[in-house]
Amino acid sequence: MTPTRRWAGLAYVAPLVVFLAALFLVPLVELFRLSFSPVDTYNAALPGFTLNQYKRVFTEPYFYGSLLETLATALLVATLCVVLAYPAAYVLARRSAGAMRTLLFVIVISPLLTSVVVRTYGWVVLLSGNGVVNRLLVATGLRDQPARLLTSYPSVVIAVTHVLLPFAIIPLTTALGGLDHNLHRASQTLGAGPVRTFLRVTVPLSLPGVVTGALIVFALAMGIYITPLLVGGVTQPLAGIRVYDQVETVFNYPVAAALSFALLALTLLSTTLLAGAFRIWERRLHG
Amino acid sequence: MIELPEEGAGHVEIEGLVAGYEGARVLDLEGLSIRKGEFLSILGPSGCGKTTLLNCVAGFVQPTAGRIVIDGTDVTDRPPYRRGLGMVFQNYALFPHMTVAGNVAYGLRIRRLGRAERDERVREALRLVGLEGYADRRPRQLSGGQQQRVALARALAIRPAVLLLDEPLSNLDAKLRGEMRVELRAIQRRIGTTMVFVTHDQEEALALSDRVAVMNGGRIEQLGTPDEVYRRPATRFVAQFIGAANVLEGTVADGRLDADGILFDPGPLPLRPGDRAVVAIRPERIRLSTHDQGTDGQGVAGTVGYRAFAGDAWHVEVRLANGRTLTVQVADTGANSADPPGAGSAVVAHWDPADVIVLDTGAGGDTGAGG
Repeated sequence: MTPTRRWAGLAYVAPLVVFLAALFLVPLVELFRLSFSPVDTYNAALPGFTLNQYKRVFTEPYFYGSLLETLATALLVATLCVVLAYPAAYVLARRSAGAMRTLLFVIVISPLLTSVVVRTYGWVVLLSGNGVVNRLLVATGLRDQPARLLTSYPSVVIAVTHVLLPFAIIPLTTALGGLDHNLHRASQTLGAGPVRTFLRVTVPLSLPGVVTGALIVFALAMGIYITPLLVGGVTQPLAGIRVYDQVETVFNYPVAAALSFALLALTLLSTTLLAGAFRIWERRLHG
Repeated sequence: MIELPEEGAGHVEIEGLVAGYEGARVLDLEGLSIRKGEFLSILGPSGCGKTTLLNCVAGFVQPTAGRIVIDGTDVTDRPPYRRGLGMVFQNYALFPHMTVAGNVAYGLRIRRLGRAERDERVREALRLVGLEGYADRRPRQLSGGQQQRVALARALAIRPAVLLLDEPLSNLDAKLRGEMRVELRAIQRRIGTTMVFVTHDQEEALALSDRVAVMNGGRIEQLGTPDEVYRRPATRFVAQFIGAANVLEGTVADGRLDADGILFDPGPLPLRPGDRAVVAIRPERIRLSTHDQGTDGQGVAGTVGYRAFAGDAWHVEVRLANGRTLTVQVADTGANSADPPGAGSAVVAHWDPADVIVLDTGAGGDTGAGG
């Protein structure tokens, strides 16, 4: 390919580059600059440079606690998603193309097809004090009084897992669907039953899909805030909600920016570590 | 050590095996008896049911009727992992996340063999296929031929009662395929394991096997030694599938078989005037001459329609006066010999009466499916 041709190829991606630069990079740089601004007593940003906002983020438990809480929640959600997605992906990958598989696939990605408001309202209907779950609990005698489900941490985990489940199912389905069926047959002729074949052949060979799914879900769960906010309320100790709180009620944009970047750095660092650990492990295993 | 095939010792007995969906029988076998230590090929075109038959024996396809007995035990209802068979696949199906040794040891681990015995058996199996130095390699670091040898070692390490091979050489290039064929036969002779080899390649089946089962439409058309199925094909299908014979139909008149103007000496067959018969003649048994050089009374005149050089031989198509074509194969005997007549030449095709294969006789002239 001649250099001219190479540049000609770049022309095709230019609109996307311009789009991303204008709407993603510029605000990001602006936000980064803002995170070093001092504030006055009314939390309005002042000109100048200070590390004070980062100092607050890393010393005040209100902020760093939310980062740790977010990390723990994202890990929990990623684990739950992979565990729940695996059987679904297994069934999807094994079905031959047809109306049934299309239907299953639509069901699987339905959380992505519904708007966040509708979806969250669905959870409210289910989990509110007078909701379906509580009425069932009371009616069956499992509880005397309705439980406070809606603004609880478990409800946040459930709702976020629900939203992010497709991001685990899709890479897992691809990984499982790509497995050569003859490997299962070979394992069986060598004497391994279905369980052993699953554990020794299917699971190890689907690990790339597991890791991809887990990483996508993890990264998305680190930054998610609308669903936890609507289901769990503004008091949930998650970094995204704390950023929202700083912007919407405290009006401290610089500290919100600093917390945002701390969250971004933590997400990048942990995904890199997880992906790196997997690659090292995989290389040791696969040579 | 060589275990000689014992006559009549039914190592694998298949009885009345039917498989397929309602209305579409993929497989409909009366019976097949595989002897201990033999190399049996199942030969047929794609869709003839040969792979389904193998999958029934392996346990991957549940037959709708019939029995499969291995070493006196009915295994029809046993899952594949309780049949004690080995299997080699066309695409090797090696576990990519294990080393060569790990692949070969897989079945031995499941059998909970002690480490020392396991290592010894892995070494032995790799030695058998000539890959001793490759134990720590990964499958993807090996060539196709090496991968298939690992697959063979893996299947043999568990010392299976029967080794099933599903087109194992089809993914290899022609040269390697030839080498692997020789090697596979040598290994089989050495260890004496009963092998059932599925292929669509007639040359492969003839070269490798003790016996060949020719399948068509879910049935076995003929079961016999390679020279039996080649020299004495039982049906029109076998004659045409193996060696692509010219098949002609005719009626007996004046002590001769008249197939649309081509006259055959019926030989010792008890043919009466008016009987219909189907005969076959191999392309390589037909001789061509440009003049009528005395054709023993047999033979037919025609025009060369098409001539192609295939390296060791020429393929010539002769159009006869009655509109039929005969396929003729003329061996290329060297630089000093003349090429066969080119397209458009008038020729006479003739043959030795002994080379005419009578496939079917009777009033109907229909070919029956026999076993």
